[in-house]
Amino acid sequence: MKCPLCGLRFKEEESAAACRGCPISKPCGLIKCPNCGYEIPGESGLLKLLRKWREKRNAVKR
Amino acid sequence: MNTRTKRKEASCHGTTDEIIAGSKRVILVGNPNVGKSVVFGNLTGNYVTVSNYPGTTVEVTRGNGRIEEKNIGIIDTPGMYSFLPITEEESVARAILLNEDSDAVIHVADAKSLERTLHLTLQLMETGLPLILNLNLMDEADRLGIKIDLEKLQSKLGIPVVATIATENKGMDNLRRAIINIPKKSDKIFRYDATIEPAITKITRLIRGNYRISNRALALLLLQDDPEINDLLEKEENKAAIDKIVEETKKFFSEPLNYLITIQRQKIINEIVKESTIAVRPERVGFRERLSRIMMSPITGLPFLLLVMYGLYEFVGVFGAQVAVDYLEKTIFGNYINPYVTKIVTMIIPWKILQDLFVNDYGIITLGVRYAIAIIMPIVATFFIAFSIIEDTGYLPRLAMLIDRVFKKIGLNGRAVIPVVLGFGCDTMATMVTRTLETRKEKVIATLLLALAIPCSAQLGVILVLLSGNIDMLWIFAGVMALVFMLVGFLASKIIPGESPLFYMEVPPLRWPKLSNVFTKTYTRVEWYFKEVLPLFILASVFIWIGKITKLFDLAVDLLSYPTSWIGLPKEAATAFLFGFFRRDFGAAGLYDLKNEGLLTGVPLLVSIVTIALFMPCIAQFSITIKERGWKMALGMAAFIFPFAFLVGFLVNLVLTTLGVTL
Ligand SMILES: Nc1nc2c(ncn2[C@@H]2O[C@H](COP(=O)(O)OP(=O)(O)OP(=O)(O)O)[C@@H](O)[C@H]2O)c(=O)[nH]1
Repeated sequence: MKCPLCGLRFKEEESAAACRGCPISKPCGLIKCPNCGYEIPGESGLLKLLRKWREKRNAVKR
Repeated sequence: MNTRTKRKEASCHGTTDEIIAGSKRVILVGNPNVGKSVVFGNLTGNYVTVSNYPGTTVEVTRGNGRIEEKNIGIIDTPGMYSFLPITEEESVARAILLNEDSDAVIHVADAKSLERTLHLTLQLMETGLPLILNLNLMDEADRLGIKIDLEKLQSKLGIPVVATIATENKGMDNLRRAIINIPKKSDKIFRYDATIEPAITKITRLIRGNYRISNRALALLLLQDDPEINDLLEKEENKAAIDKIVEETKKFFSEPLNYLITIQRQKIINEIVKESTIAVRPERVGFRERLSRIMMSPITGLPFLLLVMYGLYEFVGVFGAQVAVDYLEKTIFGNYINPYVTKIVTMIIPWKILQDLFVNDYGIITLGVRYAIAIIMPIVATFFIAFSIIEDTGYLPRLAMLIDRVFKKIGLNGRAVIPVVLGFGCDTMATMVTRTLETRKEKVIATLLLALAIPCSAQLGVILVLLSGNIDMLWIFAGVMALVFMLVGFLASKIIPGESPLFYMEVPPLRWPKLSNVFTKTYTRVEWYFKEVLPLFILASVFIWIGKITKLFDLAVDLLSYPTSWIGLPKEAATAFLFGFFRRDFGAAGLYDLKNEGLLTGVPLLVSIVTIALFMPCIAQFSITIKERGWKMALGMAAFIFPFAFLVGFLVNLVLTTLGVTL
């Protein structure tokens, strides 16, 4: 994904490193840019389902 | 993998022949939208094969062309930003480079953004594949006043560099010549730091097999945890030994290696770009460019920011809050849900005590759910819509640049505060700052500062609403908060030992927001928010219920009413502050209730808003601070923040009443 603030492209897992200093220890649903610290909410389950479904349909159509 | 045989079944046009046997093979790679397809079209004839890459829905185009009487097979790959793939397209593009023979790889690049594009060039150079850099879109670069010294760039990189305007067929002959001359691999090696470089050497030595790309490139990818490369080397190589080196290298740093490598590469790139480009003033600056500059320059940028804030206020504060909240709160909850639920609950549950858990003054439905759905939801929804629009236009990076410049002007380190101002959630600062901090003392101060000064987004939304209808109040609030920010920024920059000067920052082009993007972003944020907040609101109701039974609640309100009255607030405000401890937005919603009942207006309202904005972070964060940093520190922080919030409230009250300000 791409950080909307600084433009760094990173993988979701990489945000874990950026989260290390955070006092909140449980996963909070936000993805943190390892470069600038900007926080983005992770992809919603519902939207992901929709996207998968659309991709599948497109693939079948072809 | 043999794509040639597999292609038939996956192919959809499968009529034309594949690349003519015996011809030279050229692979086109590059970021999306840089003109690869146009270049491809220029080099090939009319017959091309489009097929899905095996096992994916990603399309790959292949065609044949002729240069100086020789057959050339050309492959157009999906857009890639980095040799370390994130998307499926990037994986496919890289798989082609890893698996297919090539006599030349052409990196088609956007001449307008050399800084960004050279990341891929350098990565491709590391692979040792025979590479040509094709700077396309030269006309647009020209228009922006970007002049590139091709000779210089060529000598810096050690590979052929060809400028083209693909759409006008300009420079294509040079490109053809470069292809036919078959580029050698570059002899330039760009080095990383003293920890990463030895690790690369060690891994390179361990790799025994023969791969299409260099061992150095493989080592770098392994260090960056590339799963595909890990799989590729699993069988043939001594993976255990390699993994050990990777793990040991990681231990040296708190950041991911991938990030460090990117940053270090950026440094190399900055050098190259500086020496090989001459920016001349463009003759005519386009509207977008002019707007972009207005946003970033302190003199025009700050008024612009105020304008944006005013728009935000009108949309969230006036439309979201007054219109939407009014309807949900008064009509839906006031007339329907509350009376109805109360009736049912009193019917089913005969005990008053248990009834109170669900309904009446502090019930789960009448307080927790009502606050969440009727007050907070319309506000955060409108707030998130506005924010998503702002985010999608590319204004945020410009705002970041602006803040950075303003802070630099007054001698402060702006970078440290930017994500705080723009970020969501409440823990932004802690993370950002504590990452780079060395000593315990620094960490403590940083955590404290952020607990104090960073209002979470939801709280901001509710505050906007509380201020709605009174523009003077809004300005005073903004002023006070700005002062506190400055103070925090000042302190933060004092304790943060020179934030690494290398801070990756890319300012994308301005654009109109896309409806679908805005929708997705807003929905994602609202969903996230409710997942976080609703359980807490319900929990708060339960706690208050327990507190009521045990009389602890009244005791706490009594205690809190002292400081509240000192800062000139009615006793009822104490309840809202208590709410604020569960979550700050919960407290703000409590204030909103009071305002609606006419109990809180004018100066006291402003004072309570300022106080609650500075107030202790919510109980969740507090309890976690206890867990992570211990009781002593958590209580110590509370002991500071509590009085400080009230002190600021007190000062604001004092100043305003002394000056005789009425709001
Ligand atoms: N002004 C200008 N426009 C160009 C040039 N080359 C390509 N374009 C335009 O840029 C746009 C993108 O070109 P494509 O060839 O589709 O880009 P691509 O790299 O294949 O994009 P993906 O398929 O997304 O990877 C098209 O509208 C082209 O007409 C150029 O040299 N100058």
